Amino acid sequence: MDSPDTPPPPPATPQSIIDILYREDGDRAKRPVHTIGIAVRGFFAPSSVASRYCRAAHFQPGRYPVIVRFSNGSGCKDPHDNWSDVRGMATRFTLPATAGGKKTYTDLIAMTLNEFFSKTPDDFQEFAWAARPVPYVRQSAWRKLLALLRLTLPLRDPYPGETISPDLGAINYATTNAAARPGVVEAAGIGAPVSYLRAAYHAVHTFIVTNSDGVQRPVRFSWQPVLGVQTLDQKAPYDPDPEPGNGDSYLQDELRHRLLTSIGKDHPRFSLMMTIGEAGDALDDPTRPWPPRRVRIMMGTLSVHEIVSDPDADCERLCFNPGLLTDGIEMSADKVLKFRVETYKLSGRMRGARECPFSGASPDDVHP
Amino acid sequence: MTAGYLVEDEIGIVQGNILRGYKLPYVRHLVLEVADRTAARAFLGAAVAGDNPDVPQITTEQPDRPGVPKATVTFNLGFTWQGLKALGLADQELRSFPTEFIEGMTRRAAKLGDFGDSDPCHWPSPYRQPDRVHVIASVYATDEGELNTVQDQVSRSFKVIGVHNGYALPEGKVYFGYKDGMSQPRFVGFHGSGPRDGKNHRIVEPEDPLGTVLLGKPTRLRDLEYAIPQPDQLGRLGTFNAFRVLQQDCFGFEDFLTSTAELLQKQGVADRLVGNEHAKLVYPELKGRDALREVIAAQLCGRWRTGMPMQLAGILKSNPDAQPSNQFDYGSHALCPVGSHIRRNNPRGGEVVQRIANFTRRLIRRGMCYGHPLDLKRPDNLERGLLGNFIGASLGAQFEAVMCDWLNLGLNSPEITGSNDPLLGANTVETSWFDLNLWTEVKPKTIEKHRIHGLPRFVTTRGGAYTFLPTVAGISYLAGLRS
Amino acid sequence: MTSTPSWLDRFVDGLPDKGWFQFLARNLVVPYWVWRDPRPKLPGGPRSAPQSGENLQRMMNLIMPLKDPSPIGRAKAALVVAQNVDEIFAGLDNVGTVHNARFLLLGNNLCMISVYDGDFTNYIRDFIATIGSVFDAIMDLVEGGDDLKPTEQNIERFIDWVHAHDLFQVPDFPTDLFTLQDEARGLTGRDHSVLSLPRDYILQFHANPDVSLGGGYRAYPGVSAAQIRESQGMGW
Repeated sequence: MDSPDTPPPPPATPQSIIDILYREDGDRAKRPVHTIGIAVRGFFAPSSVASRYCRAAHFQPGRYPVIVRFSNGSGCKDPHDNWSDVRGMATRFTLPATAGGKKTYTDLIAMTLNEFFSKTPDDFQEFAWAARPVPYVRQSAWRKLLALLRLTLPLRDPYPGETISPDLGAINYATTNAAARPGVVEAAGIGAPVSYLRAAYHAVHTFIVTNSDGVQRPVRFSWQPVLGVQTLDQKAPYDPDPEPGNGDSYLQDELRHRLLTSIGKDHPRFSLMMTIGEAGDALDDPTRPWPPRRVRIMMGTLSVHEIVSDPDADCERLCFNPGLLTDGIEMSADKVLKFRVETYKLSGRMRGARECPFSGASPDDVHP
Repeated sequence: MTAGYLVEDEIGIVQGNILRGYKLPYVRHLVLEVADRTAARAFLGAAVAGDNPDVPQITTEQPDRPGVPKATVTFNLGFTWQGLKALGLADQELRSFPTEFIEGMTRRAAKLGDFGDSDPCHWPSPYRQPDRVHVIASVYATDEGELNTVQDQVSRSFKVIGVHNGYALPEGKVYFGYKDGMSQPRFVGFHGSGPRDGKNHRIVEPEDPLGTVLLGKPTRLRDLEYAIPQPDQLGRLGTFNAFRVLQQDCFGFEDFLTSTAELLQKQGVADRLVGNEHAKLVYPELKGRDALREVIAAQLCGRWRTGMPMQLAGILKSNPDAQPSNQFDYGSHALCPVGSHIRRNNPRGGEVVQRIANFTRRLIRRGMCYGHPLDLKRPDNLERGLLGNFIGASLGAQFEAVMCDWLNLGLNSPEITGSNDPLLGANTVETSWFDLNLWTEVKPKTIEKHRIHGLPRFVTTRGGAYTFLPTVAGISYLAGLRS
Repeated sequence: MTSTPSWLDRFVDGLPDKGWFQFLARNLVVPYWVWRDPRPKLPGGPRSAPQSGENLQRMMNLIMPLKDPSPIGRAKAALVVAQNVDEIFAGLDNVGTVHNARFLLLGNNLCMISVYDGDFTNYIRDFIATIGSVFDAIMDLVEGGDDLKPTEQNIERFIDWVHAHDLFQVPDFPTDLFTLQDEARGLTGRDHSVLSLPRDYILQFHANPDVSLGGGYRAYPGVSAAQIRESQGMGW
């Protein structure tokens, strides 16, 4: 690992990025980011119009089993669910078996941020280096007062027990790098949802979907919670001795509790919204979100049923990958998206995850 | 209310090439900067008076006189707002010009669809410094020597910062192979009245009031009058021009016709294309895929490449030598696709969402080709296209209104909203589409739509400016400025 | 190393909630910054963009200060609108690109709130062309209106006036304000600390006190009024 004062030279490689992302308080046997997570099983049912836009198998009428891993974005190995953090929702759809009896899958990886920080892997390496965690130093009262008098934001105080600052480097990087600003501003103030089931998750990158007539459209996917978005009130005083459901792992506790008590058809749901890009939109630039004035199609509903039975095999050692696509869905020319495919594969190998589905190993080795 | 026609002292002061076009084979547009205000004003005064052999005289619109030959060299001037400012026009008078003219074409890029490759940041010199583009002097002539003479004369009083050479292709064609300039507004009291036009076609299209092009005259919208820029001597009977340098991807267009023909054959719909039945009348020598390409070209434009409108091609059955006419309209079962180039930019009397807008957003178009000659058998990457002039009394109400709501976006009909002009529009391959017309398989045959996708952008903007074309009285006023 | 907050830390943390500090901020701090680093007033209405989605269902928030905001003046305004409402609706039908429009009497203003397709100058121009006289009656009621009558003969100035009274639309993505302010001052590519975003907003709200917060929600974005009428079989 490079010494703290020398940034790694371009070009970025999957290995160099992963090395930067691992934190001192992280766990090399686990993911470098989105370390803490919990997986659930459920089903995806496409809407009646989905097949008009995409010929992929899971958008044809039917009901398709899914595994979803909800996660906290942080690379810290200890859970702090109530600390402000981006959340992740990685979904693996089980597609109908092919003629040879082989099961196939496709992944959709999403997070609570609407945009990414960089347009290219090299820019992301620069950003990740600049934004690497530094020891948290509380901003002095005088500096805060000065900030208030300058009508600027004082820096957030560390949470009790928070020793690493996740935002400071990113904020400084964004001053000179305009493309990172939307992501940094959204991430710094994102807070914590009251439940994994009450946040909106965005896949951010543009994909190209093709329908059965061969018509192609550039699109971006988002999951909208039917329960509605709600974030935790961050100004409520921190309780060092919390009730169950209020502590460092409250999100996982809440999810378990809710799924145990949801009965019959009352499964928590997400709507899959697909927004169609237009001429003049930045199709391959994940730092620019599309405004809410684009046509959005309701592609289907995902219902969450139960926690997975084996959290190791079915969650920690699964290797989701944004490049695991299927006929009818392709990647756009987004450079970061392409880079993520290799990076996720490498990370999976490094932590001893089950064979990545690209490897061509027997399907029985790979998946539940 | 002023007279709807030109009265005696108004005749002969409007610049030429506005009400009627020049039919000369060569043009040179000189893009000029006013480096020396005094010299520029002196030039203007001499250009109006015509008494200085070293200064070309402004050509004006003159009634034809028997025995008097038409001019073989013409000279006209257009001024940008920055140019009027550089000549010393007073602040209050500068403010009396319309907002879009003051801002200039470069700042209106988003509205005009000039993004991506057409973005002004890619425009070559001099357009990258729009505040230095002051005057566009246009010289039409019968040979190059005359163009050079005038350029020399002009360069003594102005700084020449850009030169565009244009020429007419044979048969009145422009690049993409279409015969152009077919439909121009005909003015009340100017082009003569009577039930038949100059080519003896029965007139269907209503004439346009002079106010469509000349400021101070009544417009089609009953009581609406456009503001005359001040002072009156400068503004009255002047008009505005959108000058645009439009690069055309001719090889890309021909390739698109070929690949679309192949696609339609593969999809099994090629023999139902509306216009197939006329292809053998318009192009009796073409067969198979070659004929199919011409049908597609006709649907994209609304006219066959010979200039014959799709709506009128049937006339060739009884009269194979019939000349293309401009007298037609669009009914509810029109052959011509709603999204075709000529129909979306001039919906004539057909149904329009903006009901009041029929016949109001008219444009006079004066265009000449530029760039390297084309040999379709030898593909190249050289630049060629159209030097376009789009003239009307109000840039906002006419040129810009057509560009942003009809040519792009297709707001004039819900059938095409969300799509752009197939020939000129701001298309990207990932998102563009066009609905071709097919005859239905079931009888009685009616028209159904067939959508094609992935049209690339064929025309890229490479520069331009909004100019004001005053009368010679207006140019005299500018010559007389002192400050 | 993080330490527990001292009394000074807690005092400063609590300042934004204290009434006297807010008073100080409003009457001293903000005026200081307005003097030191003012921002230009940003133009109203939706910003030009080439995407169809940006050109369909655009919001107009036209705020016209009343000459006479007393109950009598308001009654007069209400009467003028009521007497002309048939003409206004017929005019909007002919314009063909308006999804909905309504008039409000709010504070000291007569407001026209509408959702329309395409370019706003075409909308206003076509609207004047069909119902110019009604607009003259409305111009009688509002400040600065006399100067623009008859509207049919002052179209360009009237369109500019509407543009000036249409509310600035705060960008949907907060950091876009940096770009808008830079462009308005002719600057490009400057550094901006995201921590200074509140100041930029405060100063902008000084220049544009009345705004539309973002471009709004649409249940069915990207379709025109005529497309909806056609797809619902209502004719257009």
